[in-house]
Amino acid sequence: MFAAFDKVFTPENILYLAKGAVISLIIAALSLLLGIVLGIIGASAKRSKFFVIRMLGNIYVEVIRGTPMLLQILLLFSVVPSIYTAFTGEVLRINIYLIGVIAMSINSGAYSTELIRSGINGVDKGQWEACETLGLTHWQTMKLVVLPQAFKRIIPPMISEFITLIKDSSLISCIGAGELLKASQVIGAEYYDVMSPYCLAAIFYLIMTISISYLGRYVERKLAESD
Amino acid sequence: MIKVEHIVKQFKDLKAVNDVSLEIKKGEIVCLIGPSGSGKSTVLRCINGLEKPEQGHVYLNGQLLDESQKEQYTQLRSQMGFVFQHFNLFPHMTVLKNLTLAQIQVKQRSEEEAIKIACEYLERVGLLDKKDEYPSKLSGGQKQRVAIARSLCMNPQIMLFDEPTSALDPEVVIEVLEVMQELAKEGMTMVVVTHEMGFARTVADRVIFLEDGQIVEENTSEEFFSHPKTKRAQDFLNKVMH
Ligand SMILES: Nc1ncnc2c1ncn2[C@@H]1O[C@H](COP(=O)(O)OP(=O)(O)OP(=O)(O)O)[C@@H](O)[C@H]1O
Ligand SMILES: [Mg+2]
Repeated sequence: MFAAFDKVFTPENILYLAKGAVISLIIAALSLLLGIVLGIIGASAKRSKFFVIRMLGNIYVEVIRGTPMLLQILLLFSVVPSIYTAFTGEVLRINIYLIGVIAMSINSGAYSTELIRSGINGVDKGQWEACETLGLTHWQTMKLVVLPQAFKRIIPPMISEFITLIKDSSLISCIGAGELLKASQVIGAEYYDVMSPYCLAAIFYLIMTISISYLGRYVERKLAESD
Repeated sequence: MIKVEHIVKQFKDLKAVNDVSLEIKKGEIVCLIGPSGSGKSTVLRCINGLEKPEQGHVYLNGQLLDESQKEQYTQLRSQMGFVFQHFNLFPHMTVLKNLTLAQIQVKQRSEEEAIKIACEYLERVGLLDKKDEYPSKLSGGQKQRVAIARSLCMNPQIMLFDEPTSALDPEVVIEVLEVMQELAKEGMTMVVVTHEMGFARTVADRVIFLEDGQIVEENTSEEFFSHPKTKRAQDFLNKVMH
């Protein structure tokens, strides 16, 4: 079954896979960051005093978490160009990486919303009261006292979210983005052997996820020390 | 200085404060005492607006605390310092940052000025050497002294204390009480919810005894402790003094 392994295992192929891995990593990192921005907006919406805004926040989280990410990617991939065409009459030459990052950010944002919201709720309400008696406004309190404490507890689950995103970035191979999984398929097609490149891809994924998971544990220890 | 008129505060169907009126004069030290759940904290929190009473009014220097008058409301509240049972220091900031944050953000003081004022108050509570520590490195008594200093940095006219020593180990209670006694000597107006009968007896000018959300007895501390008028105050004192 692995007869072709030594044929596949060439420096060029390894380099090709490594490039795919870097793309996966970048896509995951961008999605995480944009997702955090969406998460801050989502968490603020869910804490809003206006019912309609709270409702919108809830719908966002429930819809995204209740549907498969692959479907979200495919939907965005087909919906955006058709809307564009409907409005302008022109055909959109779409950047699949951009679509991938946007879809994954929207997805990650829903999970970040929940992480950030529970992080904020986890801050003792005595902190709010102390700020209130000192005359700080709601936003000063949020920015200077609550969010810094919330982020400290959010960082460890955010690192798990990052690992999830690295793995899930493989889903955008289905719209043609040349990330790690796609790279292994390209090599597979060339050598009429998918097994070996898939195994190599798995090793690349593991290198990324395990090292980030170790980094996460290190950060967690550091955070615990400063408590 | 403070005037509370017929306040009622309800939680669900429980009247935590039921028609309480009281007055506190400038420079007076008043202790609120009473059994657990009698509404002491709620009265104190209504005074500075942490709780909004459903009925009644609170006046500070003759001005009504009215949430709809945002500017005046904020201005009036800023004249009252509040010290919590559980300190509520900011754990992610050093002691010094804890003291300068609101000075800079609210009072718009420059950083140097805020630091100078913070150091003065830290000196007064005897903790200047801890200014660069994080709160987690301090003992309970030290935390509470920092919390008092943090309040004082905002130059309040009145200090409200909600059981400032209840969360402390017995051996450090005294260091916090001493700081409060100092403040009292300097003429600070103080309202103190406390279970420290010794403090109430020796430092307070007046004692207000609450039960079931109502004022049962109000008297000079001298009179209250030696000749309580009501049966309920007598029973309470018998219980806590022995
Ligand atoms: N936020 C709240 N929600 C619901 N009930 C409350 C709340 N705060 C206080 N209560 C209730 O109101 C009553 C009065 O509470 P309060 O804290 O004022 O009493 P206290 O005299 O300060 O008691 P303690 O000595 O235990 O601190 C209690 O029965 C309490 O359970
Ligand atoms: Mg209380």
